[in-house]
Amino acid sequence: MGATFVEYASWFFETTVFIYGVALLLIYAVLAVLSFINIRLFLRKESYTDYNLIVGSPLAPGISVIAPAFNEGLTIISNVRSLLTFDYPNYEVIIINDGSTDDTLEKVVNEFSLVKVDFAYDVKISSKPIRGIYKSTDEAYAKLLVVDKENGKAKADATNAGLNVAAYPYFLCTDVDCILHAQTLQMLIKPIMEEENTRVIATGATLRMANSCEVDEGVLVNIKAPRPLLARFQELEYIRSFVLGKMGWSYINAVPNVSGGLGLFDKEIAIKAGGYDPASFGEDMELRMRVSRYVYDNKIKSSVRYIPNTLCWTEGPTTVKIFMRQRTRWARGLLQLMLAHKKMFFNPAYGRVGMIVYPYNFFFELLAPVVEFLGIIYYIFLIYFGMVNWPYAIILLVFVYTYSVMISTLSVLWDQLTFQYYKTWGDVARVAMMVFIEMLLYHPLIVAFSIRGYYFQLTNRSHSWGNMQRAGFKKKDDNKTPTPTSSTPTADATNAATTAAT
Amino acid sequence: MWRDLVDLLFQAYEQFSLLPLFIEIALAFIIIAIVATIIAYGAIMYKRYRAYVHEKRVAFISPIIEDLITEQVLLNENLGRDTLIEEIEFDKEALSNKVYKKAFVRQILIETLIQYRKNFRGEVGDLLRKLYIDMDLQKDSFAKMKSVRWERKIKAVVELTQMDITISDVTILPLTNSTNPSLRAAARNAYIQLSKNEPFKFFDIATEPLLPWDQLEMFKIITTTKDIAIPNFSRWVSYSTNKSVVSFCLKLIAHYDQQSAIPAVMELLNNKDHYFRADAISCLGKLSAEVAEEKMVKIYNHQPINCQIEILRAMGSIASGRYFEFLKTEFLYSSNFDIRMNAARAIIRHNTQHSRLLVEELMEMTHEENQLIIKHCLNPLIKY
Repeated sequence: MGATFVEYASWFFETTVFIYGVALLLIYAVLAVLSFINIRLFLRKESYTDYNLIVGSPLAPGISVIAPAFNEGLTIISNVRSLLTFDYPNYEVIIINDGSTDDTLEKVVNEFSLVKVDFAYDVKISSKPIRGIYKSTDEAYAKLLVVDKENGKAKADATNAGLNVAAYPYFLCTDVDCILHAQTLQMLIKPIMEEENTRVIATGATLRMANSCEVDEGVLVNIKAPRPLLARFQELEYIRSFVLGKMGWSYINAVPNVSGGLGLFDKEIAIKAGGYDPASFGEDMELRMRVSRYVYDNKIKSSVRYIPNTLCWTEGPTTVKIFMRQRTRWARGLLQLMLAHKKMFFNPAYGRVGMIVYPYNFFFELLAPVVEFLGIIYYIFLIYFGMVNWPYAIILLVFVYTYSVMISTLSVLWDQLTFQYYKTWGDVARVAMMVFIEMLLYHPLIVAFSIRGYYFQLTNRSHSWGNMQRAGFKKKDDNKTPTPTSSTPTADATNAATTAAT
Repeated sequence: MWRDLVDLLFQAYEQFSLLPLFIEIALAFIIIAIVATIIAYGAIMYKRYRAYVHEKRVAFISPIIEDLITEQVLLNENLGRDTLIEEIEFDKEALSNKVYKKAFVRQILIETLIQYRKNFRGEVGDLLRKLYIDMDLQKDSFAKMKSVRWERKIKAVVELTQMDITISDVTILPLTNSTNPSLRAAARNAYIQLSKNEPFKFFDIATEPLLPWDQLEMFKIITTTKDIAIPNFSRWVSYSTNKSVVSFCLKLIAHYDQQSAIPAVMELLNNKDHYFRADAISCLGKLSAEVAEEKMVKIYNHQPINCQIEILRAMGSIASGRYFEFLKTEFLYSSNFDIRMNAARAIIRHNTQHSRLLVEELMEMTHEENQLIIKHCLNPLIKY
């Protein structure tokens, strides 16, 4: 009887995992095709688009750039200068000093000739109290607005404060230490302005690692593939996630997430949906779900679009400890999100979000590490009892490995088709080589940290935000030790687009 | 040897067919994945190599093209001598250089000429156009027009437009209603620039929407193209059934300050679509249409918030001084923050003795939040 049950359980597990694995592999194959079509379409349009048209146009929609800062004293001046250099006619930059304990505010006040002003605003979304609002007496910095507030222990709280004072109908959410392309606003507003029949509620673009890039006064002067191994794995992961994953999802209007590092949103919808959730560990994913819920509940025909260009460079963790903290938090955010919006699960009332985005996130983002973890345990169990058919097992492992190598290589190819950011063959090779060892070295870490995150979330373990220690960017003509900086904890929750490794 | 290989393959196939189905599938996918990966790497290398070669070619050919334009056009000795552009002859030998027969060189030449023409108008601009025609480059552009690929068609339309080459109405008008939004926009822009008699004719037949990005492009073309006949846009405000065309015309009416369009715009205040009404109110404000104030105040209480805010903004622009009481009431008693903010702004924008006294009076009689609103609106550092 016992033996029969074990056999039955084994058969059930193997069949389930087989179907799960096949489904995941098929999804990746479909995504590869869809993203290719979408990238081709984008490039065809780009071949004649003249972005200069928008630069002097009175019809350009206004955009508020919201960038929270926490203890950024060392780099804040160049960061703000960088944000003030967009090629766009109608925007403001809102820096939120989220209760910094260093000299972030003093530096900004002195550098940009700021004075405290009597600023009236409507609290549409609650946030920690604002201590003061500053404007520059220098006309050159008229676009700059600095909000000083009490620390809310989350980027979400700071962004919500920014939303309350934002003047324009669209807002760009970013991190103050991200390096953005000068054409970011023009390129992100275009999908909103050229969509027929639906209201585009959010747009995003690719993010990349800035770790080994050369930066001068907050402006990127030389793009290089990251040298640190961990950052290089993340570079590959981001390329796969954005260029192959999100471009594919964007084609069928089922983008699972707009990254917290770079996302342009419809302010009215975001506010009506309640803004960012400060209690969430993955507030960007949470906002995406929340605005979708709002638009479906209110019968607003909407879409979320992605473009393949890299418009934002961010510094990725280079130590396993910081990386673990980041991925644990993302995993907690994902689990939180799934529980908070379970009403949408396979709910046709929520359209593609209910029928595609949520189920995909549930089965192939949330459950993937669990399935893999159980698979490993089951494998050990089979090995222990000598029940493994080794030739077949090796064939299946090789199959999964070669498939994941293929998908990752295709994403590098799609990226090269879009724009050749790396100037040298060596940089391309550095990233392309990662596809062969990613599954062996990097992927197990992601699985382990995700399981850790779920465990912490389920056991309600308190989360210490910690200090996201950054190494700083390499300056032009500077090969000395990088400047240490720290950054506010952010839930830059890029869906990991985990490789098909189950 | 071949026979051995065939036997080996045959044996392998026999063994393969004995395997379970999922292992067969896995093996097949392994081969597909390996082949696809190799092809992908090949494609990456090829793509980069092509980009490298293209860069080299451009680096080689660009100075030659620049020299040609400089010698034949910019430094042309006939310029400024009252010689008709049509009568100026280029150096035939320079133009018949073999290098200009290659397709990619001709394309770079077209793009460079377009860039130059964007920077040079007048005689130089006309001479650049003549060079384009004399080198038969318009044939290349017209050849692209026949392409089945819409992006090539767009490229052709843009090239011909930039070079001011007439495209027949029969060719271009159908494209202004194309179902492809990009092609449609390019054709519409071309039509405005190239049609000498009725550049806005397609507004009459436009059934497809004029998207905000297209409007942006078209607005720039209309407001920067020389010698364009600007019509009275109220014609479409009154008769067009295409909402996006009406909305765009409202922006043009405001831009060209077409006072004669005010009655037609006022008609839109009765429109059922509140976004439309808001656009019309905004337009009336920009036109400083004092005549519309009374009606706007009359309909105010029945409007949604967006229209009410637009009415307050319009009243600030018109600044007739006739409705201070109305603005004061809205500022003091509205429960909506944005309404109070815009009412205060409207009063301040009057910038008269009366308005300044009213602001002082309001500062004394109102509560702290409203006082902050007034301070906010009075602060010149705060623009919004």
